[in-house]
Amino acid sequence: MIKRVLAMSVAGLAMSCAVAMAGPTVVNGPGANPSCFAQWSPDTKFLQWEKREGPFKLAVVNGFVGNGWRIQMVKTAKAFAEDPSIKDKISEFKVVSTGTDAAVQLGAIEDFINQGYDAIVTIAVAPDGFDRVIRLADKNNVVIVPFDNVLDTDKVMQVNENQLEMGRMYASHVLGELGKLGKTSGKLLEVRGLAGNSVDRDRSLGIHQVLDESGGDWEVISVVGNWDDGTAQKVVADAIAVHGTFDGVVAQGGTNGVVQALLDTDHPMVPMSGESENGYRKALAKYADEGLKGISIGQSPGLVAISMKAAISALEGNVMPQLISVPLPVATYDELEDGLNYWSDLPDNFFTVNEFPPCGVNISGPSIMAQTKDDS
Amino acid sequence: MPELKKNMRLLISQNIGFTAATIILVVLWLLYNFLHPRGFSSAVLIQNTNESVAIVFVAIAQTLPVLLGGLDLSVGAVMTLANCVASVLVSGTPFQIILGMMITLLTGTAFGLLNGLVVVYGRIQPIIATLATGSIAIGLALFIRPQPGGDVDGDLGWALTNDLYELVATYGWWDADAGWFAPISWFPVPLLIILVISFGIWIPFKRTITGRTVYAIGSSESAAFMSGLPIDRAKLAAFTLAGFFAACGGLYLAIQTSSGNADISQAGSYTLNSIAAVVLGGTSLLGGIGGAIGSLVGALLLRLLAFYFRILSIDPLLQPLIEGVVLLVAVSLGALRTLQTKNRLRLFR
Repeated sequence: MIKRVLAMSVAGLAMSCAVAMAGPTVVNGPGANPSCFAQWSPDTKFLQWEKREGPFKLAVVNGFVGNGWRIQMVKTAKAFAEDPSIKDKISEFKVVSTGTDAAVQLGAIEDFINQGYDAIVTIAVAPDGFDRVIRLADKNNVVIVPFDNVLDTDKVMQVNENQLEMGRMYASHVLGELGKLGKTSGKLLEVRGLAGNSVDRDRSLGIHQVLDESGGDWEVISVVGNWDDGTAQKVVADAIAVHGTFDGVVAQGGTNGVVQALLDTDHPMVPMSGESENGYRKALAKYADEGLKGISIGQSPGLVAISMKAAISALEGNVMPQLISVPLPVATYDELEDGLNYWSDLPDNFFTVNEFPPCGVNISGPSIMAQTKDDS
Repeated sequence: MPELKKNMRLLISQNIGFTAATIILVVLWLLYNFLHPRGFSSAVLIQNTNESVAIVFVAIAQTLPVLLGGLDLSVGAVMTLANCVASVLVSGTPFQIILGMMITLLTGTAFGLLNGLVVVYGRIQPIIATLATGSIAIGLALFIRPQPGGDVDGDLGWALTNDLYELVATYGWWDADAGWFAPISWFPVPLLIILVISFGIWIPFKRTITGRTVYAIGSSESAAFMSGLPIDRAKLAAFTLAGFFAACGGLYLAIQTSSGNADISQAGSYTLNSIAAVVLGGTSLLGGIGGAIGSLVGALLLRLLAFYFRILSIDPLLQPLIEGVVLLVAVSLGALRTLQTKNRLRLFR
């Protein structure tokens, strides 16, 4: 007992004395592999960590688990860790889900730092509150990479898609298709996401920017679909019952439900935008001729793979942008091809976009779905 | 000597759930440290306790209403409210920081008192009353902090979430490298906070008449009433203390994350986990048996289960399932006594 206490005190002392502030240094660009790790904006700074030898220990700390997107993200992470391009660089790989409790997520990150992991990829449960683990990570030279729900800080390297740009592209496409039909004004239905979430806010901002800039006289009816198929289907059906026919639909999620509502209410097929659900893409391929001329852009669960790749690139001493903008995976109704960017044999709620050729991330849908539950 | 032995045996047999939980905790914790690459180090102990502080306090908060024979569904919400209040107030000069902490703790305590008033004078079942007041607490929290954020003093956060060495070094109270300080400087501040507050408040409270009345009410409210015990006072005290402990959890969470977050699902998971921790720690949901120190152990045990997922390779999608099964087994162990009783009627007491 006494021995253990003594050992603990010595270890504790060593811990507290030996560490000086380390972490990344701010350097000048350009960064490595800019076609994959694109700077978010021209004034995004660049970071560089000390180069070290692989293979590396890598952990993914997920928060909430329980929707299709998150489950697919976890499967993607596991599939990508086995990818030949990256397998040899990883010596140990772990995935944990912490639920929505911030203390547990912070604890998990701190634990992996203690265990001597080199990099930790995470979806933060809150945009704030990570100062302590960032400080610890810098002390121990660990690279933390938040993605999807990013943090309000410029001290760590983060990965995301540009949600504002996504909103702009949604609206531009719908207006473009309406233009081809000769319409420069009319009634649009906007289907929004989870209220209070920054992703919903940014996408909607982008949509409205484009509508305002177009100068057309657009009457926009906004409904809240929570990015959920069931909710979206209900609110769209309600909106059609109340407002009649729309000239176009600008949805940002729960798109399977939106299409289903259009079909159920015998609403004419109109230009629309939506996420990257497999079911939505199936519908686009099937009904394009009837007027469902849609665009599909999604927040990809494959972001986890890019984050893992970015973490390893940073560990190898490459110059990295502090905020990485992943190219938006876009597909329009005329670009869809079964087995390539949608799969008629996979479920509707599968998220189709998983491939990012500039990053060498090429995990196809079937290979993710092939990840069984016993091969961790 | 035989006298002492007899007393010990009586103490253990009267606290069988607590004893079992403590033994399981110690064994699992030792095993965890052997498996951990940096086991038995101060850093691991700091991380373990940091992650546990909030749930320990919320579990202790939950213990008091449970001892009365009720349930408090607002503990997670009151913790969240205190968390949001702290995220606004705990910054600035040292005086402002201390004042902010006081107001935070007072907010929770007042909310606990409100719960008590509704239960005692409103004559409403605790589970329903706190379901309603819990919503009020979350509403207030959302009003104070519609979006996550806040700037709790960074130095405070760093000092209170590390070992004593960093605490002393951050504030320069004395030379942190002093020889006499070295043997204890590794001790985690969060663990110290847990021990001081829980033992410092619970043990004295338990020995007062009010404290014993809480147990008496849980055992048999009518008998307690017939005996002339101060029932209303005990109930008010129990809910008020519950509010105070929940606020301690919220305050620490704010310091730890240097921000506040009115997260409804997080509040809900804290409430549910607090009930699990209370049961794991040997407190009976029927009331009258158990104690706050048991809940402390139960909460640590609950957290310890999740620690294993990080050192063992378990499929991430199976982790919630395994956690649930282990919990169910652990709680069922407490029900083993049903196999031993000679008379089934004893189970209903």
